[in-house]
Amino acid sequence: MAARDKHGVDAPWSAGFQVVGRPSRKIDGLAKAVGHAVYADDITLPGMLHTKFLRSPHPHAKIRSIDTSKALALDGVHAVITGECMPIKYGVIPWTPDENALATDKVRFIGDEVAAVAAIDEDTANAALELIDVDYEVLHAFLDPDEALTRQDPQIHEQSEANKKKRGHRGNVSKHVDLEFGDVDAALDAADVLIEDEYTFHGTTHAAIEPHCALAQASPDGLLTVWSSTQITHYVHRALARVLEIDASQIRVIQPCLGGAFGGKSDPFALEFVVAKLALLTGRPVKCLWTREEVFYAHRGRHPMQMRYRTGAKKDGRLTGVDAKILIDGGSYSSFGLVTTYYSGQLLTGPYDFPAYRFDSTRVFTNKPPCGPKRGHGSVQPRFAFEVQLDQVAEKLDLDPIEIRRINFQGENTQTVNGQRITSNGFMECLDEVERASRWKERRGKLPRGRGLGVAGSMYITGTNYPVYPNKLPQAGIQLQADRSGLVTVFTGGNDIGQGSNSIARAIVAEELGLDPMSVRVVAADTDLCPVDLGAYSSRVTFMVGNATIDAARKLRKLIVSAVAEAWEIEEKRVFMARGEVFDLESRNRRITTREAFHLAEERYDTLGTTGAYNTPTLGGDYRGGTIGASPAYSFTAHVVEASVDEETGRITVENCWIAHDCGRALNPMLVAGQMEGSAYMGIAEAVMEEHAVNRFGLHAGPSLLDYRIPTSVDTPELHALIVESLDPEGPYGAKEAGEGPLHPSIPAISNAVFDAVGIRLTHLPFTPGKVLAALRAQRSKNLATPVGTGGA
Amino acid sequence: MLRLPKFEIARPTSIDEVVALLSEHGDDAQIIAGGTDLVPNMKHELFTPKVVVSIADVPDIAGVRVESDGTLAIGAMTTLHDVASDERVRSIAPALGHATALISGPQLRRMGTLGGNVMLDTRCQWYNQTHFWRKSLGYCLKKDGTVCHVVQSGQKCVAAASNDSAPALMTLDATLVFHGTDGRRELPIDDLWRADGIYNKHVSGELLTEIRIPATPRGHRGAYEKLRDRDSIDFPLLGVAARVDWDDAGDRVARAEVCLVALQARPVRLKKVAELLVGKQRASAELDGAIEASAERAYKQCRPLPNIPGDHEYRHEMAPVFVRRALRACVRASENASDAAGV
Amino acid sequence: MDVAAPAHWTLLEVLRYRMGLTGSKQGCDKGDCGACTVLVDGRPELSCLTLAALAEGKQITTIEGLMPAHVAAGGEGADPVQDAFDRCGALQCGFCQPGMMLSARALLNGNACPTKGEIKDALSGNLCRCTGYTQIIQAVELAVAEAAGVEPVSPAWAPHENPWRSNGTAPANETTER
Repeated sequence: MAARDKHGVDAPWSAGFQVVGRPSRKIDGLAKAVGHAVYADDITLPGMLHTKFLRSPHPHAKIRSIDTSKALALDGVHAVITGECMPIKYGVIPWTPDENALATDKVRFIGDEVAAVAAIDEDTANAALELIDVDYEVLHAFLDPDEALTRQDPQIHEQSEANKKKRGHRGNVSKHVDLEFGDVDAALDAADVLIEDEYTFHGTTHAAIEPHCALAQASPDGLLTVWSSTQITHYVHRALARVLEIDASQIRVIQPCLGGAFGGKSDPFALEFVVAKLALLTGRPVKCLWTREEVFYAHRGRHPMQMRYRTGAKKDGRLTGVDAKILIDGGSYSSFGLVTTYYSGQLLTGPYDFPAYRFDSTRVFTNKPPCGPKRGHGSVQPRFAFEVQLDQVAEKLDLDPIEIRRINFQGENTQTVNGQRITSNGFMECLDEVERASRWKERRGKLPRGRGLGVAGSMYITGTNYPVYPNKLPQAGIQLQADRSGLVTVFTGGNDIGQGSNSIARAIVAEELGLDPMSVRVVAADTDLCPVDLGAYSSRVTFMVGNATIDAARKLRKLIVSAVAEAWEIEEKRVFMARGEVFDLESRNRRITTREAFHLAEERYDTLGTTGAYNTPTLGGDYRGGTIGASPAYSFTAHVVEASVDEETGRITVENCWIAHDCGRALNPMLVAGQMEGSAYMGIAEAVMEEHAVNRFGLHAGPSLLDYRIPTSVDTPELHALIVESLDPEGPYGAKEAGEGPLHPSIPAISNAVFDAVGIRLTHLPFTPGKVLAALRAQRSKNLATPVGTGGA
Repeated sequence: MLRLPKFEIARPTSIDEVVALLSEHGDDAQIIAGGTDLVPNMKHELFTPKVVVSIADVPDIAGVRVESDGTLAIGAMTTLHDVASDERVRSIAPALGHATALISGPQLRRMGTLGGNVMLDTRCQWYNQTHFWRKSLGYCLKKDGTVCHVVQSGQKCVAAASNDSAPALMTLDATLVFHGTDGRRELPIDDLWRADGIYNKHVSGELLTEIRIPATPRGHRGAYEKLRDRDSIDFPLLGVAARVDWDDAGDRVARAEVCLVALQARPVRLKKVAELLVGKQRASAELDGAIEASAERAYKQCRPLPNIPGDHEYRHEMAPVFVRRALRACVRASENASDAAGV
Repeated sequence: MDVAAPAHWTLLEVLRYRMGLTGSKQGCDKGDCGACTVLVDGRPELSCLTLAALAEGKQITTIEGLMPAHVAAGGEGADPVQDAFDRCGALQCGFCQPGMMLSARALLNGNACPTKGEIKDALSGNLCRCTGYTQIIQAVELAVAEAAGVEPVSPAWAPHENPWRSNGTAPANETTER
């Protein structure tokens, strides 16, 4: 780790933090409030064409031929393209490029993109789609992951013979990871209690309210500009260069204001390549706005997982070992699936100490919309299973569910069983906070039947040192420009997707240079203007962009301080910056404005600008895959959920959710709380309401915001955000992530609360009322069969 | 954006003009009131009318009034919001007040009309989808196709009536005023429905102008219970309207009704179920028993199909629960009839 | 204002693509999300389900209209609802919020002191995917409290100092600098 990457947890000036640590407005808040913020579909260019996609009506088929001639002949149609014009495959993970912008030889799910039309308006483009003839040879469709695991004919993705041998698998396997740390069999044999159970996590999707949209314009001098609602500008930039076979220096990618993402805008998507290609072919600007239905087909949502866990513990509650076997339904393409498969095991090894641990995860392809990274990528599902199982262990040992989590706390500055470095760890404070706020001790196990409390914990990465494509370059870069007006402009490749990363960059620069935040502007996510950042995923932005910003700001500060010190003929340590002014600490009435200081510095050092960067230290276990899931800092969370169960209807109502989250230092507690509340909301919704379901034909069962039911204001419980600040030694001022970790415990905490309420264990998601009623019936018949005096809850 | 197919708009300013337009264009015309059902259905290409006939400019078909004989007359163009928040509706027809307050969300209640809800198209998970979606399956019996995906090899469409107002109006003996080429006629609401999901009404080519609810007795109580996943926006997965009228002395049940929606093509009246309550003493064990028996009988008489989204076996299980809850809400309601809809 | 558009265009399409009023958003295509909410003669309605031709003669207020109306009425800067949404962190991605703020504005126009339940009900036709609604509801409560001159409730995440108190920390102070 370079010196540039570690800045300490303290305020830059002796007066303490002036901006950081306080709730403050977002940099783009008012622009969004008054309707001025420009999102991708708000952009209209002169002469712009509109694009619509022809999609596969079959879950699995070969394309024998496509005839576009009639469509092309339609008045108002400027171009019709098919897969052959972009034959190079891509994929966000460089090892698994298996996608084409438009299908070249076969289609793999209902909704797969086959052809695209550019026309003068959407109506004409739609009419043209009806005129395209595609001859399909329908193939057997895999809808069941168990079948995909064992049946290899037909292959959803053709594999080379060598690859088949190397994988050593039958079936349609996308990725298999089998890792063991310690002697798990011996550890489980040595346990006093062993709980074994099966858990199901269903598919869910992001449902950001803004549908995906992209626009492209090709200029005669060969420059291609693409505006896209992406959360990772840099990967889109690379993928466009690869697929379009254009040098990346001739492509500019801009992310306008983004209407939510949650992982659903992390992959390069067909529409980005298609508008670019069509802009090049037609010489006109081209836009594509996906319908809500198309967004559901694009998916990349939470992977369904079938999980079997075995957990052993001693009588005192100490865990001896954990053994997991997981089948992951990947859908039709790889997307981030290689990472997902690792994450399904690698991210479980905190906040508890596992003396021995094994996981065996297999991701298979099926003919359904492709799964990918959704908030809490790959780790929400195993976390659900394990936290319910941990409650089962506590039940068996007659331990308080919070207590068993304390007993197994791994501590700070330690190493997990799979070799991940843990630095700060505020999990115990998180448990204390939710225990206190929920009045756990007075109420857990003591509420009237039908109402209960449940707890769960979790940890999550704050970025990862695995940069998707291997390189030694910084993960985050920043440039600062100091203007003669006193304004500082931050140029960052980081993607503000609503989480407020641009506001954090502004706050850091203001803090470091003693400026009013209004004197700092941010230019972001434009590949022509901004240094590379790897984008908004893996909860990396605050940590990595934050550190890079501190690095750049301290370099600029050094220039200013030294110029002022030289002009004033004093030692540099006497120069102090605050509230837009520069003081002499020992002679307070000697002061100039920051603007004047900028002039002094520019006279002394020429045009003022600095760069900053961040890269992760070398991390991870010394084994294949050991770097996947290795993070410079982990966040920790505990939730207590209060739920009620209507035993007549089976409906679970989450009444309250107390969310205690260790985010290191809360750079802006209001934004941290917003992430915590939004995360908990999303987890609760997945547990009791949402399901990304595919019907028996392989067709998405309800690709709309009517049928995919995301909770409204009246369906959302009271959310109580309790911020815990552990101050991480490597985070910017000690900060860690807050955007994904706080989703994890919601789901198992609901299951555990239902157990407290009515004594049933819900292990298969989603927790529909029908399942609750079935479990209650089973409980009643079991109680009837049990001799009096030993009945259940 | 999902686009509307092309059409022309007609803006008639009288009932006669509307009737003439409907007569002239036949199946090529669609009436638009609030548009909250028609516009999504047109975006799905379930309807592709050449002429959309707006009735927004037709005078005197919106508003609530109470006639001298106590009849509650509600103009078909009255918005659901205005119906739900009208004190006279809540007092005379509490089940309707409650049902309309539970339709969709706040914006749609301000756009959607009572007439539109009565005339709502039936719904099905295999039908309320885009053209692409339906085409991928070779369409369905209700629209453009020959097979039903709900009932394998089914020859009759089983799309579900999904209008919350319908069962409430049925418990209230509502009559509907239609205008057609033969002039004005009144139709008891029960006579509107036919058991065909493709089009579940006996009326076509006519304009619904008014919903008339005869005066309810002093002892009238009504309630509506709605099963849905979310407490806003969603259509019913099951809707139960109940009516309990106490006799003049306020001691015994003089009349009871139970009507359900979101089961099959037509809203259903469970006559035999409700009759169990008649004559039963207020706050008595026999009344409680009759409510339980009603619930059990409702379970036997209801057969939800996997037509609308959600687990149909669960919907079946909920039929007795919601019948019981609706009846209990009625008998629990205080003398202040405006509270009767509350639960 | 006169604007020409085909008969089959919705009000949302005309606002966004003919008039350049892109503040009204499109999220679901067909009446399920509320992002396109506008005020029609003061009532919150969905512009994606409104045929543009049938909006003729009606007063349409989009998100762009709130601040000018507030200024015209003698106020400064953004409408208090818009300002409160910003101060409370309710604008994460911001995409659903134009519709949300218009629903909130319509509520407050008819009911200056709504309960929390009434606020939730009034906003229940506007889906938000970022916030879990908490900071949105806090924003409406803040606007209500400030209009009534009472101290707003402090959020759970600020146990020590109420950030919404008018003499509180940064959010309130910054207002004057705009």
